[in-house]
Amino acid sequence: MSGASQAMHFKARAGDKLADRILQGALKKAQPLFTAKRRKGMASLAADGLDFAAMRAAAQAIRQRVLDDLDVWLEIFEARAVAAGAEVLWARDGAEAARLIVELAQREGVRTVTKSKSMLSEEAGLNAALTAAGIRPVETDLGEYIVQLAQEPPSHIIAPAVHKTIAQVEALFAEAHGRPQLARTSADIPKMADEARQVLRRDFLAADMGISGANFLIAETGSAALVTNEGNGRMVTTLPRLHVVLTGIEKIVPTLEDFATLMRLLPRSATGQDISNYVSLLTGSRRDGDLDGPQKTVFVLVDNGRAGLLGGAFEPMLRCIRCGACMNHCPVYFALGGHAYGWVYPGPMGSVLTPLYTGLENALDLPHASTGCNQCGSVCPVGIPLPDLLHGLREAQNARGLRPPGERLTMRLWGWLARHPRSYRLLIRLAARYLHWLGDDDAAGRRIRIFGLAPAWTAGRDLPVGPGRSFFEQYAARKRD
Amino acid sequence: MRVALYVTCLVDLMRPAIGFAALRLIEACGCEVVVPPAQTCCGQPAWNAGNRPLAIELARKAIGELENYDAIVVPSGSCADQIRNVYPQLLADQPAWAERARRVAGNCRELTTFLHEMSRSTAEIPDFPGEFAGSATYHDSCKGLRALGVKEQPRELLARVRGLTLREMDECEACCGFGGAFSVRFADVSTRIVDDKCAAIARTGADAVIGGDLGCLLNIEGRLRRLGDQTTRVLHIAEVLAGGDGS
Repeated sequence: MSGASQAMHFKARAGDKLADRILQGALKKAQPLFTAKRRKGMASLAADGLDFAAMRAAAQAIRQRVLDDLDVWLEIFEARAVAAGAEVLWARDGAEAARLIVELAQREGVRTVTKSKSMLSEEAGLNAALTAAGIRPVETDLGEYIVQLAQEPPSHIIAPAVHKTIAQVEALFAEAHGRPQLARTSADIPKMADEARQVLRRDFLAADMGISGANFLIAETGSAALVTNEGNGRMVTTLPRLHVVLTGIEKIVPTLEDFATLMRLLPRSATGQDISNYVSLLTGSRRDGDLDGPQKTVFVLVDNGRAGLLGGAFEPMLRCIRCGACMNHCPVYFALGGHAYGWVYPGPMGSVLTPLYTGLENALDLPHASTGCNQCGSVCPVGIPLPDLLHGLREAQNARGLRPPGERLTMRLWGWLARHPRSYRLLIRLAARYLHWLGDDDAAGRRIRIFGLAPAWTAGRDLPVGPGRSFFEQYAARKRD
Repeated sequence: MRVALYVTCLVDLMRPAIGFAALRLIEACGCEVVVPPAQTCCGQPAWNAGNRPLAIELARKAIGELENYDAIVVPSGSCADQIRNVYPQLLADQPAWAERARRVAGNCRELTTFLHEMSRSTAEIPDFPGEFAGSATYHDSCKGLRALGVKEQPRELLARVRGLTLREMDECEACCGFGGAFSVRFADVSTRIVDDKCAAIARTGADAVIGGDLGCLLNIEGRLRRLGDQTTRVLHIAEVLAGGDGS
């Protein structure tokens, strides 16, 4: 669970993931559930008389308004949060965020930390940093708890353990909870969740510090907004004497009204719910007379590459509200699962963010790991043109000379031909004959079974071929007749 | 009406019958069809690879060849998207080209969109000659669907084909995994994605799968055959509407 990127190994990892039958089974099961959930969410939006396109335009405008003056909104947020009794710390990158939190924990004599979901914690490699300092981090989101037991990073931003089967979870629970392994079916899920709840209860009560993310930071009130389904978020943010909110600087929304608008789309896009089971607005620390709440609330707001995107071609990515709809509708994500992507964020948004946050040269495959289908862009609730951004990254790779020489040469040769119709015609004429000659006939037509010039294509598919004479050759002959 | 047929490089090389079928269909709408002789490729591979300079050069070349027609018709959603949506974007900041790109883009139609518009606007268009004895399912290709809004057009055209019953597949709007260079660069991932498409096609029990983009069709047909399906026909909608053996 470190912030280090393995994104350069996407291609090799993709092969491993395709060969992993257990993983493939889990993904095949999950995909239709995810798409059905959003479909349900959109139906309920329509039933409320709300139009997705109009709501999306409104949500996009809210997010864009923040990005246009992010510095100002951050100052407003800081002032309001401090006025409400919280402390605000700023971190340039993930490492600094981890250092600030470890130092705070050490200063306060913290031994156990309970955590609710935070992807920024993954960017910061926070669990590793806490562990190295002798502090025990306990993930309390059920999915996060499972992947922590498995010593794996989350494979999805809202369903961290989507890659795990029930049998795998049962094996992890049996070992961690010191009991024999049982045969489990999906009917046992509530029982297993309850088992995790019992174990986690001890940690909730023992923890000195709770660390949460924030879905949004409300500038007008200085609050953190938390959108959760399991209730663990409330335990993490109210039981320990210290509460740390760890999130990115782009998560600001101006007003509660804006938050309400975004909330019409976030749960519906993510899980298909009209609203999540819990929506918490956390403002300041425990006041005199309050029955619960942390004695101290500290915001750790992290840049880690975000400010560098402001005002540039990739700024739209900062509108992201982390709903997961893009990956839930991505054929590549569901072919491989999230771990193939090699860093914190998977799927289309991850393929954009990973090169931007970890370096273009450290994730060369990701901008190409897309069929360009735009299923992601069409479901994004804040109108991020994900394929265009991936495309921009491909251009940036070319501009920086990061594409392999063989590819550049092929492109140059092809480009020359495409600009010289007579040579192009001749080559296509020969190619049509060659492909036809290579093919074999059978009942279903003529096709190539092993194609030496593009062996990758015929590794899993035949290549159907034509009649040996190109369109333009035939057309010229007809015109002569 | 003078119409330029933009054959596309894939149809030229891999399945010329689609080009001839498109030609006959446009003629059946009472149009004069010209096949601009110097056309090669719209530049989509360069654009997808992130090679903007080459994509711009090929856009200018195509615009020069296509600007003197009342309409430009393309039997492919992705190539039509390149001309309609990408060209104006590529040339927006070049004063000598921006207007020309916009004009060509505005005149460019994906084939089924063109046929659909023609059959609605002109009363005397004959039914297209195609006949099909059996059932078929339709794959919505991504660029056609999401970039050009091609959805009802092919279905309404197919509804007029004698003998053809349309059986929709599950997730007919899901990507088949082709993605141009993606299908070679990440061939194994592409194959895994097209498996879902093949399974959805098989579940319909249809005699044929029909689409509007040859790239998707080569991918789907290639996988179906490799999986041992020798019977499901894989057809471009132009071939179905035009009938005959297509040549």
